[in-house]
Amino acid sequence: MISKKIVIVGHFGVGKSSLIKRFVEDVFIDDYKVTIGVHILKKTVKTSDKEINLIIWDTEGAESVEELLPAYLLGTHGFIFVCDVTRPKTFENLQEQLDLLSTFNKLAPILTVGNKSDLLPKGTIHEAKEAMPFLDVLTSAKDGKNVQRLFEKMAKLIIS
Amino acid sequence: MTEDEKLSLLKTILLTDEREYADTISKKITILEETLRERHKLAEKVSPIIQSELVKFSEQIPEKLGPVITETLRMQIANSKDEVVEALYPILGMMIKKFIANEIKVLSEKIEQTTKDAFSIQSLKRKLFASFTGVKENEMVLNELANAQIEQIFIIEKGSGILLGSYSKKATVDEDMLSGMLTAIKAFVEDAFKGETQNLTGIEYDLYEIHLQNLHTYYMATAISGTFTESHENELERFNYAVSEKINKQQLLKNKTELEFLLKKNYEKMNLFKAQ
Repeated sequence: MISKKIVIVGHFGVGKSSLIKRFVEDVFIDDYKVTIGVHILKKTVKTSDKEINLIIWDTEGAESVEELLPAYLLGTHGFIFVCDVTRPKTFENLQEQLDLLSTFNKLAPILTVGNKSDLLPKGTIHEAKEAMPFLDVLTSAKDGKNVQRLFEKMAKLIIS
Repeated sequence: MTEDEKLSLLKTILLTDEREYADTISKKITILEETLRERHKLAEKVSPIIQSELVKFSEQIPEKLGPVITETLRMQIANSKDEVVEALYPILGMMIKKFIANEIKVLSEKIEQTTKDAFSIQSLKRKLFASFTGVKENEMVLNELANAQIEQIFIIEKGSGILLGSYSKKATVDEDMLSGMLTAIKAFVEDAFKGETQNLTGIEYDLYEIHLQNLHTYYMATAISGTFTESHENELERFNYAVSEKINKQQLLKNKTELEFLLKKNYEKMNLFKAQ
């Protein structure tokens, strides 16, 4: 089985650790704990023809990718940039941030995620998606919506 | 008899008994006052009572006060952890010092025994080996007694921290996550000390040491138990380089199964002392 390194980045409190916890352990803990440095978890994902071992690096919240330790981003096979759909500040200068990530591995796919979709008013998710076309997936770590899909999508992108 | 005389007689008849009774009471009060005022007299009376109560109380301490004391101590420790640690540190330090001193004593006894046994076959072998290789005999004796053992070996890709292959004598925590964390720690230390051209070469914890040997695209992390001496380190590095050559020659970095087979074959029976 092949192993691939996925790095999750984004502002403070956007729900990076909660997304990973939901994906790996299928739980949501409504108790905010700041990630210091980096935390590593793993989970195996089955794509149509292969099994892939995702080694997920959960980085500490940072307003810019430049604030992160470059060594944490080296050798990454796929990046996930997480924003909070209710806090526009978390997706300001998004393109600039994605360009910075690309400098670490031009070939690594990057997925942009709008988390906390459960906080949007009911029935407005579709509108929100259209209003934020720069986001690839809207997720909710709280109710688990699209979380599994996000990582499966990343696994497929890495293999292809 | 006049009216006054009659009245006086009546008073005498009525009050004589009362007066005598009052006198008795007054005397008793005086004695009591004296008893209370004079310590030794009071002690004579009270001491036996206190003594018996104390005996009863001390018998009841574990049952009545035990839980209260335990709870108070628990709260006190929880509220002032630093102070408790501060207080315990010197005591623990002394215990550790005593233990180490004892271990050194045992070690020196063993060395003494080994030196005394100068004409044994093992000793002659050692002398012969020392004269050929230049390694000091006492260092070899120390190495023999140090008992350093390789517990685990990991081949980890630089940068990504992906585990390329491993060999462990016993199953431990998840090896993929361990490799990632080792890489993150390594990256953090190297960045913190701005050692762009320098690498972290080891991590020590308790009785274990993780030796990190950097190669071009990967690094080898070897977990060793026991006393890992300078000469062990040299020997391990020589051995790791030899294994690394085999890995490169057979291009095993992308073949985990083959790589792990090679690691098992090489490290399973590797003894750092014998390998010298």
